[in-house]
Amino acid sequence: MVHFTAEEKATITGLWAKVNVEEAGGEALGRLLIVYPWTQRFFDSFGNLYSESAIMGNPKVKAHGRKVLNSFGDAIKHMDDLKGTFADLSELHCDKLHVDPENFRLLGNVLVVVLARRFGGEFTPELQASFQKVVTGVANALAHRYH
Amino acid sequence: MLSAQERAHIAQVWDLIAGHEALFGAELLRRLFTVYPSTKVYFRHLGDHPDEVQLLNHGQRVLQAVGVAVQYMDNLRAVLSPLADLHAQVLRVDPSNFPLVIQCFQVVLASHLQGEFTVEMQAAWDKFLTGIAVVLTEKYR
Repeated sequence: MVHFTAEEKATITGLWAKVNVEEAGGEALGRLLIVYPWTQRFFDSFGNLYSESAIMGNPKVKAHGRKVLNSFGDAIKHMDDLKGTFADLSELHCDKLHVDPENFRLLGNVLVVVLARRFGGEFTPELQASFQKVVTGVANALAHRYH
Repeated sequence: MLSAQERAHIAQVWDLIAGHEALFGAELLRRLFTVYPSTKVYFRHLGDHPDEVQLLNHGQRVLQAVGVAVQYMDNLRAVLSPLADLHAQVLRVDPSNFPLVIQCFQVVLASHLQGEFTVEMQAAWDKFLTGIAVVLTEKYR
C-alpha cells in the first residue's frame, strides 16, 4: 500500500488547490487520446476525434476529463485509503467499461506532464515524485478489483 | 516512421534545448533519480548523492546523444549503433527503465516550454524517444 508522509500530503494538497480542475482534466484526457491514439478505442461514442484540434475541443472529452479529474481530487482527500475510495470505480472499469489498467498508468503520466506544463519550475522534482506516487496509487486502486 | 510534421515538431523543440544540453540533461537526471530512485543503480559511478557538476556532465552526454538522434532521426539504427552496443554489452539497463526516462523528459519539456508545449510536440517527442529506446535495446538478445 502506498504511504504518504505528512509533508508530501501538504505539498500535494497545496498544489492541487491551484489546479484548474475545469480545464486540466480535459487537457489531460485530450493529450492521452492524441499521444496514445489507441486509447480512443474506449470513446467511440464521443463523436469527432479525427484531428488534434477536434479532440482538444471536443465537449465530451472536456466533460469526461473534468469528471476524471474530480475523481483525482477525491483521491487527494483520501490518500490513506485509495483502494477503498476507488473500489466501486474499479469494479465499474472492469465489469462494465472493460478498460485495460495500463490505460490508468498512461493517463496518470499524462496528468503529471499537464501539471508540469501548468506550473513550470514550481513543479519541482520532489513535487513530481509526490504526484507520480498519487497517480500510481490511483492506477493500482482502480486495478485492484479486477477479476 | 516519423511524418514530416512530427520531424518539424521534434526539430522545433530541439532548437530550444540546443546549447543548453548540460542544464536540461542535469534536470532530467535529477528528476529521474528523485522520482524513480531505483534508476540510480545504473549510475553508481556518480556516487550515492551525485552533485551538480556530475549531473551537468553526465546530463550533457545524454542530451548530446539525443541531439545526434535529432540530427539523424531518419537513420537512428546506424547512428546510435555504438550506443546500442554499449547498452547491450556493458550497461545492460533493463528495458523497463526507458519509459521512466521518457516520462521525466516530457516533464522537463513541459515545465520549460509551458504554454508552448503543444500536444503535437508531446506526441512527436514521445514517439521519437520511444524509437530511440527501441534502438538502444535492440541488440540485447
